[in-house]
Amino acid sequence: MRPFKYTGANSPSDALKLLIKNPNARFLAGGTNLIDLMKEDVERPDELIDLTRLDSTSFSKISFGVNTAGVSLGATGKNTDAAHHPEIRQNFPILTKAILAGASAQIRNMATNGGNLLQRTRCSYFYDTAMACNKRSPGSGCAAMEGINRMHAIFGWSENCVAVYPSDMAVALSALDARIKVMQADGNVRSIPIHDFHRLPGDHPEKDNNLNRTELITSIEIPTNKFAAHSAYVKVRDRNSYAFALVSVAAGLVLEGNKILSAHIAMGGVAHKPWRALKAEALLKGKIASTANFTAAAQAEMTEAKPLSHNKFKVALGRNTIVSALEIALRGAESPI
Amino acid sequence: MEEKNKSIGKAVNRIDGILKITGKATYATDYPIKNMAFAVIFKSTIASGTIVNLDTTSAEQANGVLAVITHKNAPRLNEKGGIRGGALLQSPEILFYGQHIGVVVAETFEQARHAAHLIKVDYQKKEGKTDFEKLATSAGAPRGKELADLIRGDALGMLDTSAVKLEEVYETPIEHHHPMEPHSTIAVWEGDKVVLYNGSQIINGAQAAAAETLNLKPEQVRIVSPFIGGGFGSKGGQWANLILTAVAAKVVSRPVKLALTRQQMFNSVGLRQQNIQRISLGASKDGKLISLVHETTTQTAIDSEFLEPCGDCSKVMYEVPNALISYKVAPMHMMLPTYTRGPGKSTGSFALESAMDELAYKLQMDPIELRIKNEPQKDPSNGKPWSSRKTVECLREGAKAFGWANRKVVPGSNRVGDDLIGYGVACGTYPARQRDSSAVIKLTKSGENVFAIVEIAASDLGTGTNTILAQTAADGLGIPLVHVTVKLGDSDLPPAAGSVGSVGAASFANAVNDACTKITDELLARSAKQFFIRPTAYQLIVSENIKNYQTRVDAKAPKEAEQYSAHSFNANFAEVRVNALTGMVKVTRFLAVTGAGKILNPKTARSQIIGGNVWGIGMALSEESVMDPRWGNFATRSFGDYHVPANLDVGKLDAIFINEEDKIPNKMGVKGIGEVGIVGVAAAIANAIFNATGKRIRKLPITPDKLI
Repeated sequence: MRPFKYTGANSPSDALKLLIKNPNARFLAGGTNLIDLMKEDVERPDELIDLTRLDSTSFSKISFGVNTAGVSLGATGKNTDAAHHPEIRQNFPILTKAILAGASAQIRNMATNGGNLLQRTRCSYFYDTAMACNKRSPGSGCAAMEGINRMHAIFGWSENCVAVYPSDMAVALSALDARIKVMQADGNVRSIPIHDFHRLPGDHPEKDNNLNRTELITSIEIPTNKFAAHSAYVKVRDRNSYAFALVSVAAGLVLEGNKILSAHIAMGGVAHKPWRALKAEALLKGKIASTANFTAAAQAEMTEAKPLSHNKFKVALGRNTIVSALEIALRGAESPI
Repeated sequence: MEEKNKSIGKAVNRIDGILKITGKATYATDYPIKNMAFAVIFKSTIASGTIVNLDTTSAEQANGVLAVITHKNAPRLNEKGGIRGGALLQSPEILFYGQHIGVVVAETFEQARHAAHLIKVDYQKKEGKTDFEKLATSAGAPRGKELADLIRGDALGMLDTSAVKLEEVYETPIEHHHPMEPHSTIAVWEGDKVVLYNGSQIINGAQAAAAETLNLKPEQVRIVSPFIGGGFGSKGGQWANLILTAVAAKVVSRPVKLALTRQQMFNSVGLRQQNIQRISLGASKDGKLISLVHETTTQTAIDSEFLEPCGDCSKVMYEVPNALISYKVAPMHMMLPTYTRGPGKSTGSFALESAMDELAYKLQMDPIELRIKNEPQKDPSNGKPWSSRKTVECLREGAKAFGWANRKVVPGSNRVGDDLIGYGVACGTYPARQRDSSAVIKLTKSGENVFAIVEIAASDLGTGTNTILAQTAADGLGIPLVHVTVKLGDSDLPPAAGSVGSVGAASFANAVNDACTKITDELLARSAKQFFIRPTAYQLIVSENIKNYQTRVDAKAPKEAEQYSAHSFNANFAEVRVNALTGMVKVTRFLAVTGAGKILNPKTARSQIIGGNVWGIGMALSEESVMDPRWGNFATRSFGDYHVPANLDVGKLDAIFINEEDKIPNKMGVKGIGEVGIVGVAAAIANAIFNATGKRIRKLPITPDKLI
C-alpha cells in the first residue's frame, strides 16, 4: 500500500470538486474492495475522498414512492440495510437474495450499494501485479486467456480480457431493469440503465463501466415489478457461502395461470457485466411455464457461449442454473441463499 | 484418589479459555516490546533462474526504512542448519516462485510494506520445472529409504488371476495448512543471545534449527511459544521467516516483528503436495482381498525431498496376502512440501477407501461388511500383534448411531425435490507413539493447600495441551485442577517432543504423570510415617509440612511397545445432499467414531476430531491450490480463491469415542487424536456422493463442475 492522503467530503458536489482537483484521487465508500486492491498494489491512489460522512438523505437512505415509482437505494447506503429492508424483501426479493448471496455478513455491513456496482473483477491475474493483465496495466497482455481461467467468462470476452464481473447485487438489478443515477461535475444528473452501465472488455478492459471519472453515483433506481412472488436467485459456487459465483442466475416470471407473460433473466459469473439472457427471455414469452420450455430456453441462451480451456463446464452449468432458477421462481418457493 | 474427584476423562473446560476469548493470551506477535521495528518480506516472481540486478535504492530512501536485506548483504548463515524450504537470502539463485529474496525493515509495518513495492529486480530466467502433469510421467524413485517399495507376495501376478478386479486412479491437489495465525515472529537480541517469540509445534526443534542456522549454540536461542494459533504441520519444521526475523533484528540492532501475509503463506511455509494414486484391488467373489497395489506419484522441491506417505493406510488397514506399495516423485521448482494434517493418511485413505467402496459396489456387498470381512488379526505390514484395534467396533457402533440401515443401496435412488441424498462410510488410522519428554513439577504448600507448577517445553497448538497436562497433574498429585499451573511453550523449560504426528498428548501427559509418580515416591521415601494405602503427593506434603519440593523426570516410551503395532482407528460416516441441477454438495451429517485409547478430556478431544472432520470436508469439496504450470505461481492466492469450509458448508457433526483400555503404547493408554480426525473423511464424503448421484469422483476437490 502506498502512502495516501485521506479527505472527508461534506457534500456530493464537494466530493466531485475534490476529485477533479487531484487526478490520482479516488472515492472511498465501504472500502471492502478498494483497500484490498491498495494493499496488493493494484490500485495506487494518492488521495481517498471519503463519501461515507455525507449525511444527505438521498445519498445514504432507501426511499420509496412518487419520484422513484419503485425504490431508490442511496449510493452510500449499506448493502445489509438494503437486503433487510422489509419493503425490499417483500417487493424485490431477488435483490435481497442476491445481496445476501454475496460476500459475508461483515463485508455487507461495510459495503455500500454504489460501491458494490463498482467492485472490480476477482481474476487472480488482475490481483497479482507480477502477472500480465490488460485491465490493470493496459497493453501488458492477458495471463488468464491461456491460464487458469476456470472462473472466467464464457460470453462477450475479447482477446484482451476474459475476466468476469463479480457482483451478485448487480445481477438482480439487471433482471429488475434498474437505472443508475449519477451526478456530474457541473451538478447535472444523468441516469444510466444498468444494462449500459457495465461494459464488455473489447479493446479497453481497463474500463469496467461507462461512468466518467468525474461522475458520482448518487442512487440506484429500481422500477416496480410484477414478478416478486415468482422470482429466484440461484448462485452456484465452490462453497456454500463466501465464494464468488461459478454461475449465478436471477430470474423472475410474470405469469397468467401457467402462461409466461414475460421472463426476466440475468446471469452472473459468465461475462464482464451482468449477462441479460435476452434470447431465453424471448423464447419463454407467451409459452407455458414447464421444465421442457425452461430447458429449451436455457439451452438456446447458452448456444453462443465461447468457453475457455478450464471453464467448459459453465455451458452446462449455466443451462442448469437457469432451469433451476426458473423452477424455483415458478414454485414461488424460497431459493437457496 | 476417588474416581469422582478425578479430572482425567472429564469434559473439563480449557484452563486458558478465558485468556483466549478475552484476547489476553499472548500469541507470537502480541508481546508489547519497546522500540520495535517491522519487517516485510519480498518474493521472487520467477520459479527458476538468477537475480542479476536488485535495485533497492528507492526502497532504502523511502520514509522510515531502516534496512533492506538481500542476498547481497545478508549475513552468512548455515543453510544446512535444519530450516526447511531454503530461501535464506544466501545466493541470487531462485528455485521456486515466491522464494523470499529480501526483507525490508522500517519503523512501521506500512512503511516496510510500501518500500517493498519499490524494489526492482531483474532476473536471468531459466526454464523451470513447473508442470506437474508433464513431469509426473517421468517421476523417479524417492531417495528416502522409509519410502522404499513394500512388497508382500506377488501382488501383480495375483491381481491378474483375481475373480474381481478394480484399478483406478485417485488424485488429490496441493493444499495449504493456513492456520488462523499466519507464521509470525518477534526477535529480540540480548547481547549474543536471541529470544524468538514464534509459534512452534516443536519448541526444541525450532531452537536447534535456529541456533544451527544462525551459527549459535542452542543455549543462545530461546523460543517462546506459549500459545499457537494452529499449525497443522506447517509450524512443525521451521522456515526461513523465523531466521530472517532474527537476522533483521541483528542488522538494525532493535527488536523486529515479522508476520507473513495470508498471500505470502502460499509459498513460505510448506504445503501438501499433489498426489496421483493408482489403486488396484483383487478380490475373491465373496469379498476376500487377494491383492492390493498402491502406487503414488507425487512432487517435491527441486533441491530437497519430502513425500507424504500415501501408502501408509494401505499397509495396515486390511488383511491382504499380496501387496505392493510404491512411490515415484518428480522434483519441481516449487515450495518444499511438508507434513500436513494426517500426512499421507488423509490423502492415501481417500484413494484406498474410495477403492474399497467401489469394490463393495462391484461385489454388491455392504461396504461395512466388506471392510469387516478383511479385518486383519495382526499388522499385515510387519506381523506384529495389535496393541488394540477397534475398527469393527467403530464400524458397528457408527452404523447404529448414524442410521446406516436407512441408506438406499442403489445410487441415485434417494431424491427429495432437486436434492439427491447419499450415505458414505470410510475408515482411517494413524500410528500411536510416545516420544521422549522431560517434565519438572514444583510443589508449594500454602496453608492446607498445595500448589503445583508443571514445567515442560511442550507446545499447545490450540488443541488443549495446557488443559490435559493440568488434569494429569491434578490427578497425579491429588490436588484440585485450579491449583495447577502449566508452563509450556518455552525452550528454557525441560525439553519435550512436539505437537506433531499425534505424539503430543501421549508424550507430554506421560512425562507429567511420571513426574507425579516420582515426586510421590520421593516424598514417601522421606517420610518416617507408615501408610496402608499409597498416599498422594498432596497428603505427603501436608502431613510432613514441606514448604517446597520439586523433581524432574525424563520420560520414555515403554520398551515393550516396540513389540506391538499401535494405532488409532476410526470409521467415518457421511450424509450428503447434492443438488441434481447445480451440483452443489452439502454435508448434512457427519459422524466420526474413533478408538484412540484413553481420552483425557472428551471436550477438547471432540473439538479436535470435529476440527479434523471440517478440514476433511474442505479437502473433499473445496480446498485446492492451483499452480499455473507456465510459471509455477499459484493462481489461488487468497482466502477468496482457496476455499476453506465456511459455516454453511458444515452440517451436523458428531464424534463418538470407543472405550479402549490399552496400556501397551504408553502407561496412560493415550493413542493420540490430532491426525486421525481427518483420515478417511474425504473418502466417506466422496462415497456418499457416489451413493447420492451414481457419480464416482476420483479427483478432489469435488466441486459443482464435476457433478453436472
